[in-house]
Amino acid sequence: MGTFILPVGPQHPALKEPTSFRFLVDGETVVDADLRLGYNHRGIEKGAESRTYIQNLYLLERVCGICSNAHMTCFAQGVEKLMGLEPPKRGLFIRCLMGELERVHSHLLWLGVAGHEVGFDTFFMYTWRDREIVQDMLEMISGNRVNYGMQTFGGVRRDLDEMQIKKLLEGIAALKARTPYYLNLGASEPTLVARIAGVGKLPLEKAVELNAVGPTARASGWKSDVRQDDPYAGFGEFIPFNIVTDNGGDVLARVVVRAKELMETYNICEYILKNLPAGEIRVKAPRKVPEGEVVSRVEAQRGEDVHYVRSNGTDKPDRVKVRAPTLANWPSTLYMLRGGYVADIPIVMAAIDPCLSCTDRMAIITDVKRGSEQVMDWETLRQHGIEFYRKRGIKL
Amino acid sequence: MDILKVFLYILVYPGLLFLFVYSTFVEWVDRKLYAKFQNRMGPMHTGSHGLLQPIADFVKLMAKEDIVPESADKGLFNAVPVFALAAVLTSGLLLPVWHFTQGIESATSFQGDIIVMAYLLALPTFAYFLAGWTSTSMYAAIGGVRVLTLLFAYEVPMFLAILSPAVMAGSWRLADIAAYFQAHPLHMLFNLIGFGVGVIALQAKLERVPFDIPHAETEVVGGAFTEYSGRKLAMFRLLADVQMVVGAGFLSALFLGGFPGGLIPGFIWFVIKTLVIVFILSAMRAVTARIRIDQMVAFSWQYLAPLALLQLVIVIFIKGYMP
Amino acid sequence: MSLKLGAMLPEVMKHLFKKVATIPYPFQKLSVPKGFRGHPVMDPKLCIGCQMCVKDCPSEALEIHKESETTDDQGKVSKKFSMTFYLDRCSHCAQCEEICPKKAIHLNSEFEDGAFDRGALKIIYK
Repeated sequence: MGTFILPVGPQHPALKEPTSFRFLVDGETVVDADLRLGYNHRGIEKGAESRTYIQNLYLLERVCGICSNAHMTCFAQGVEKLMGLEPPKRGLFIRCLMGELERVHSHLLWLGVAGHEVGFDTFFMYTWRDREIVQDMLEMISGNRVNYGMQTFGGVRRDLDEMQIKKLLEGIAALKARTPYYLNLGASEPTLVARIAGVGKLPLEKAVELNAVGPTARASGWKSDVRQDDPYAGFGEFIPFNIVTDNGGDVLARVVVRAKELMETYNICEYILKNLPAGEIRVKAPRKVPEGEVVSRVEAQRGEDVHYVRSNGTDKPDRVKVRAPTLANWPSTLYMLRGGYVADIPIVMAAIDPCLSCTDRMAIITDVKRGSEQVMDWETLRQHGIEFYRKRGIKL
Repeated sequence: MDILKVFLYILVYPGLLFLFVYSTFVEWVDRKLYAKFQNRMGPMHTGSHGLLQPIADFVKLMAKEDIVPESADKGLFNAVPVFALAAVLTSGLLLPVWHFTQGIESATSFQGDIIVMAYLLALPTFAYFLAGWTSTSMYAAIGGVRVLTLLFAYEVPMFLAILSPAVMAGSWRLADIAAYFQAHPLHMLFNLIGFGVGVIALQAKLERVPFDIPHAETEVVGGAFTEYSGRKLAMFRLLADVQMVVGAGFLSALFLGGFPGGLIPGFIWFVIKTLVIVFILSAMRAVTARIRIDQMVAFSWQYLAPLALLQLVIVIFIKGYMP
Repeated sequence: MSLKLGAMLPEVMKHLFKKVATIPYPFQKLSVPKGFRGHPVMDPKLCIGCQMCVKDCPSEALEIHKESETTDDQGKVSKKFSMTFYLDRCSHCAQCEEICPKKAIHLNSEFEDGAFDRGALKIIYK
């Protein structure tokens, strides 16, 4: 068998969401990798232009199921800047708490998925069982297990009472007792270490050059975290925070970074719950937003999430652009996959914690042969689609 | 009377019917144990506590549409699962459960039958490779190649491991080896290393975690079985279960002292000893991750084969010094 | 940290004796907490027809219709409204509950939204 092209996706058991990879494979070694995105494009940015700001809060929340709170926070704080609002301190603390609890949920989920990709189903079941603790906590606060709908312009929508705070502290204590077990297991179970150590190496210079974000970058030793570089939601001013890095640069380092981030997050949550200031949770927000443009960033679970909002004085935004963290991590992933084994493809892809729903936004496709770009409006695009299928004999 | 016994032997116990029913029971035990280890329930609703679930899965697969890829070699593609299932079912007939006399050789218990049994148990692996190759699908081809690479890794340690009890008992007949260990139960302890190597090699032969590299779901979709559906896939899955029963029976006859006592006590011993080995296999499946094929080959030639050789050396020494 | 063969074995063996973490749904159901986001329930007596809920719903799941308009002897006009609610469009964001000035909408604790017939998911509150 010489070299041949192995397609992974758009549908493949290794992928949680559709992506199209084409690997040039020689036996068991991956020689080259090619990536095509766009299968999860839902037209959210276009849809945001015809909805009011309040409706857009919920639309942007549903960009991704796991980073839902991060997207909502990013949009809410960006528009608050445009409106000139300052949320009260209690609102900021609860906003931060939701973001950190979502981080716990996401990292525990990721540990399970990474275990499943290497065939370690018991690890997967145990981490997801412990994740139920944080899911119950989130359901108690917000009424939902994902897509919490807690952020709004001017603060948060629901408050915490004494009994909830007590239950939350108990839940965090339970999680704090369970998580070091997974950290130890990741470092001492021989079959697991054999699969993840030395795999998917990303040296520091390459991480900086290809602009990796989030735990992927921090696992290569790069101290890049929006909570430290561009603090939001009370980080830095009121809430202490330590950045977590590791120098390994391989999948084991990413596991270690995420597990240590979990421990750091538990400390942050405990600080917030014990020092929650009294007061209001939100201020009233106007319906119409004054003209302006704003770029807002948060540290989502997978890295730096950027929202750009341009307003024109009405109650509907002019343009909303979302740059999710996974889009920034794909070039690094392609670099990591080249030269590795076919068997390492699932775990290397899973190690950046890919979220395709976050990734697929509007992209400009350049015709490489002619070097030109073409902009189509809605009607032209529709006609193009109908002609495409009619040529292939499919009646529409 | 004898003819009736032969028919009963082939068709009922330990032949077709018993292997079919018992292998579904063993699959149920494996699934329930695996679920319990993971703090879940496993099958619950089909039959009392899900006992009929493996049979229900088999019946469902038999009823599904059977698709043959256009560019596959139809004759070979259709024949492979039947051939493999036939090989494993035949090997079940060689287990010394009843209908054998100690001193007299018969058609199902003769000198050299452990070699025939090991050969018949190795045939399904080649069938998997052929299945992967004739499917002409990328994932199936990779799966088929991995099956053969895996075979090179575990087959030699397995053969070396099954040699030691044979050398100790001084015979190539399963019934004689089992009788020897029934007579000297303490000698079973000398074969512990060989037993360990044999169990690990059996896990690799059955292609279960940590050695389920050929049909790793997240890497090559289904491996050699990617293009199989419907009845042929049902046969492949039944084949995996029967292989587990026969493999466990083989190891218990060699290392754990066989199934003495005739029809009824032999049956009870068979169930107990095979369930012990299935428990060990399930636990192994629950606590490990899947390793890569190059790591498997390295592990097998660096640890398994030397350990099996060590076991053989120990047995030779003991045979030399024992009265 | 050094490698341990079968590092997970003690924990896994302990689980043979533990109670399972799974709840056998649908024979046993989990209880939902207070404040759970279920289906919106509307009280038509309190509705004043301001249409704020319709404007704010991100999924166009609400419609408010005027049922009747009566003028009594003192010239006071009283209007009755009904709400048509599409359960299959609702995203359970509770924005309608938040924005209603008369607190006529509340989210209940139902979480089983399945139905065989699309029409069953269109609920009318009169």
